[in-house]
Amino acid sequence: MAEIGKIMIKVPGAIKKGDVIPVKAMVVHPMETGQRKDSKTQNLIPEHYINDVKVYYGSDMVTSMEWGIAVSTNPFITFYLKADKAAPLKMVFKDNKGASFEQTVQVNPQ
Amino acid sequence: MKKILVLFLLAAPLIISCTSSTTSQKKAEDEKGVKEYAMAVDVKKFEEDYAKVHGNELKKMAEDGNPGEFIVEDGRALFHKVDGSAGKSCASCHGENGAKNLKGISVSYPKYDANIKGVLTLPVQINMCRDKNMGVAKEKSWKYGKAEITAVELFVKSLSNGMPINVKIDGPASKFYEAGKKNFYGKLGEWNWNCAQCHVKYAGRYSRQEYLPPAPLLADHWPSFRLDWGKQAGMHTRTIQERFKGCIKNMRVSDDKIPDFETEYMRNLELYVMAQANGRLQQAPGFRR
Repeated sequence: MAEIGKIMIKVPGAIKKGDVIPVKAMVVHPMETGQRKDSKTQNLIPEHYINDVKVYYGSDMVTSMEWGIAVSTNPFITFYLKADKAAPLKMVFKDNKGASFEQTVQVNPQ
Repeated sequence: MKKILVLFLLAAPLIISCTSSTTSQKKAEDEKGVKEYAMAVDVKKFEEDYAKVHGNELKKMAEDGNPGEFIVEDGRALFHKVDGSAGKSCASCHGENGAKNLKGISVSYPKYDANIKGVLTLPVQINMCRDKNMGVAKEKSWKYGKAEITAVELFVKSLSNGMPINVKIDGPASKFYEAGKKNFYGKLGEWNWNCAQCHVKYAGRYSRQEYLPPAPLLADHWPSFRLDWGKQAGMHTRTIQERFKGCIKNMRVSDDKIPDFETEYMRNLELYVMAQANGRLQQAPGFRR
């Protein structure tokens, strides 16, 4: 039931300045490959997948990814981030139909 | 010819006496109740052994991101949504996020209820509440086993995470507990199986690439996200009764004979299985293979 484009980002609770922290994110998306058939009508289901992921930490872009049809339904990703400032971490997902989803969490190293 | 007839006449009372003895035996068994099996494994040892073989791979996956958490958020949204003729939402009585009076409530469900003269499960309670207090019309009440009611059930259960399950089976509930036990031990399907065979008698053995979990481990994590179900329809959690249905199907019961959601059979069975988990800490949404 969860809507397309809902994003969950997990950042560790207690962080010290300069730590390398794992950031874990999950996004709800069907990630249709365009190669599956509808079992009733026998027509191809049109492709619908996330093809562009960008991560901003404060004003800098820290990483970007290009995804294709090989990525699973409801993708889950982990990447590592050097937490050297207190700033918002923003993730932007764009899919091939032009929709864009984003979510922000605050990273507060002590 | 005469000889055969005489033989038959002699044999007839024998046959009759045989059949009558078996029926009387059956009656005696019914009066005694079901014959329980001895639990095949020590539950604590099973958990330790399981962790040795599988590691805590599933636990790690659940901590990284349990998709059930999206459904908790869905449930929270529905909890605050105004519905029905009274212009109320669940939150108008139970407080914002259920803070007023919902914490620790769900661990006592399912329980005996005098109004319906039977076992009251959480989804039935939710629909009853919507009907009585929110004025939602009968045809608009949520269908059991579907996304909305499961989401709200999951949200309400997640409020009492970490509390020990405490289902009462004494007093008026004992009758339904016995009925549930009968369902648990009742043979079903082509293969003539019952629930207890896998989860009591042969618990801990290897079957279908999994170790069969003993009965007390079955019920503390519902509604749950299962990797098996995730494939079918994206992201969703399912209730314990959906799992019963799956299990009954695996026992080769034909589709039209599988009991429906919230029937008497299912509610009694849920009471029995939940009571087995008494004392274990609730953790919803669960994450299973």
